[in-house]
Amino acid sequence: MYSQFLDHLTGGQGYLISSLGIFFVFFIVVTVLLLRLKKTHVNYMSDMPLEDDNTSNPFKPLQS
Amino acid sequence: MQPEKFYYDNKIVRNFGIATIIWGIVGMTVGLLIAIQLYHPAANMDSQYTTFGRIRPLHTNAVIFAFVGNCIFMGVYYSLQRLLKARMFSDVLSNIHFWGWQLIIVLAAITLPLGYTSSHEYAELEWPIDILITVIWVIFGVNMFGTIIKRRERHLYVAIWFYIATFVTIAVLHIVNSIEIPVSLTKSYMVYAGVQDALVQWWYGHNAVAFFLTTPYLGMMYYFLPKMANRPIYSYKLSILHFWALIFIYIWAGPHHLLYSTLPGWAQSLGVAFSIMLIAPSWGGMINGLLTLRGAWDKVRDDVILKFMVVGLTAYGMATFEGPMLSLKQVNGFAHFTDWIIAHVHVGAMGWNGFLTFAILYWIIPRIYKTELFSKKLASIHFWIGTLGILFYVIPIYWAGFTQSLMLKEFTPEGLLKYPNFLETTLRILPMYVMRSIGGTLYLGGVILMAYNLFKTMAQGSLVANEAAQAMPLEPFIKPEHEHSWHRVLERKPIQFMILALLVILIGSFIELMPTLTIKSNIPTIASVKPYTPLELQGRDLYIREGCLACHSQTVRPFRSETERYGEYSKAGEFVYDHPFLWGSKRIGPDLAREGGKYPNAWHYNHLMDPRLMSPGSIMPNYDWFLTQKLDTSLTAKKISVMRTIGVPYPAGYEKIANRDLDIQAKGIADDLAKNHIKVSSDKEVIAIIAYLQRLGTDIKADKSASNNQ
Repeated sequence: MYSQFLDHLTGGQGYLISSLGIFFVFFIVVTVLLLRLKKTHVNYMSDMPLEDDNTSNPFKPLQS
Repeated sequence: MQPEKFYYDNKIVRNFGIATIIWGIVGMTVGLLIAIQLYHPAANMDSQYTTFGRIRPLHTNAVIFAFVGNCIFMGVYYSLQRLLKARMFSDVLSNIHFWGWQLIIVLAAITLPLGYTSSHEYAELEWPIDILITVIWVIFGVNMFGTIIKRRERHLYVAIWFYIATFVTIAVLHIVNSIEIPVSLTKSYMVYAGVQDALVQWWYGHNAVAFFLTTPYLGMMYYFLPKMANRPIYSYKLSILHFWALIFIYIWAGPHHLLYSTLPGWAQSLGVAFSIMLIAPSWGGMINGLLTLRGAWDKVRDDVILKFMVVGLTAYGMATFEGPMLSLKQVNGFAHFTDWIIAHVHVGAMGWNGFLTFAILYWIIPRIYKTELFSKKLASIHFWIGTLGILFYVIPIYWAGFTQSLMLKEFTPEGLLKYPNFLETTLRILPMYVMRSIGGTLYLGGVILMAYNLFKTMAQGSLVANEAAQAMPLEPFIKPEHEHSWHRVLERKPIQFMILALLVILIGSFIELMPTLTIKSNIPTIASVKPYTPLELQGRDLYIREGCLACHSQTVRPFRSETERYGEYSKAGEFVYDHPFLWGSKRIGPDLAREGGKYPNAWHYNHLMDPRLMSPGSIMPNYDWFLTQKLDTSLTAKKISVMRTIGVPYPAGYEKIANRDLDIQAKGIADDLAKNHIKVSSDKEVIAIIAYLQRLGTDIKADKSASNNQ
């Protein structure tokens, strides 16, 4: 079935199919990356903006 | 090991902040002026330098590159230093970046009203300024990467990935879309022509939205929203997925700006498919932002900064849902060229970019001035009139878009166009244009209030130009025995990260651009399509100078409602000598692709002098300066030569006799006008623009037997 479909691709349709393939592979790679992340690292990274905390509360002056 | 003491540079943050406020007011005021001109053309103050076609690009450039641009640099310089625990790499580079960027903006504000434009939307600036932009952008990049390299934090937070992607992608987009051959210091021709030029331009245009208006703002959202809400981002893993998916998918979606045009069908389909997929990462980012406020929604009630963020994120969600819907061919066939698109971009610009900018300004300025905001009440009033301003702006203009498109596509039972006169549909939507300018006034009023509030805040505090901080220096890195995550590795290798991001955006760009740029059969030539005569070429340059394409498209889509109104639908081969393409993106007036031969020369003369003489009620401004200004023919030979170098087949040596041919054709038109009791010398600009308009779309009529070479 697939070979028949691929045999009948014309013109730019090859680009469309290859785009789909690249897209699919790309997302599998990113998903694998995400699954391999460690919880401690994720927490460390997501706390980063809050580290210089003297500026965290809106409208409060800076501590010198 | 002892902690190192260092200072954050707040002065550069403050400078970019002030520039954001000032250019924001300037850009929006110009926007209001052109909005008023749409129902009151005399608001151009009878000056060519303040007429819609010339200052519409000034509005778009000012809000995109001056208002949003300066805000990006303010946010990046503030957050980058703190996330990396380091002062910016070089104060000298920071200052060159700041003053260089302001110089570019001032040059834009001078050259665009003078009519020096490449005509590529959002990339109108001429080649010397393009070079300056490249230099300043590289300085920004060196300063950013210098700071990254001397950082005291090993891992790069997600905001910085967005900044890196912004830097590399804008560099690629700007360079590829600015390849032009100079004719003089203020004039150049794009190397690409017709459909190829259109594809490059909209690959650029779409991704300027992606990588200038979106990715840096997402980076700032990931830094500032957790600080404003005082809690970490909802999901760091989602932010990784968001980042890679967004930069990968966005780059493919450009062709949705060219649906039903002469772009090869497969490229259009590719653009549509990736546009639909874009909903996922866009909404992933919006949801990640909004869910960061989980458990903190009570704060939103009291905190005006969070209110701005919530409305901004919601506007982002609406615009990024609407965008993919607009790229569906059926929806696009209805919406494209109408005010629906103007409404769509203003939800994004006023809601997402504007409101995030305001939130960040209200957050940063009191902090770097070591004080509290001058008036929370004024900020709250700003929020409400800003929100109302957006609604008053977009709702009428959505309505205008729907109304006009429905009218343009309506047929009588006999099969004739119900509204054959385009102007009839324009007059119907003028009340909506008036409403829109009221919305814009409200929004601008809010920004002026903010400016007052923030300048008072600055006056009551004092700038902490160098803010003391300390952090441990980076220890030599010892690789763990088992590195569990590739991404963790990537987060501490900025250069490899940049190269990977570059590769990701280049994949889509190559697949999308290369076939149309390199395979000849994608653009079937038409034997009867010939290069423009010297006079027509000069007329075409006047058309570009005046920005006629801001209101008139030059491409007839294959719909019955368009072929009945304008004539035969456009073919790719008709545009092979169009450096640059002039298809336009909005029809405030009718399409001109088949304008040639529709009206006599005298009609055009009178119409350009005062459009209301020929079309009562028309909102087109008078172009009476065409009647008095002498056509500059000193560059004709150079123009012909440059055109030949980029593939237009003028015979060798033709440039030497081009002005002779120009004079002969001009005299012919002047004689014809004289027969109609219009006395005008043949050296006036009006003759050239008439010659160009009379040529438009006539080549394929010239030889009916001429056929595709395929």
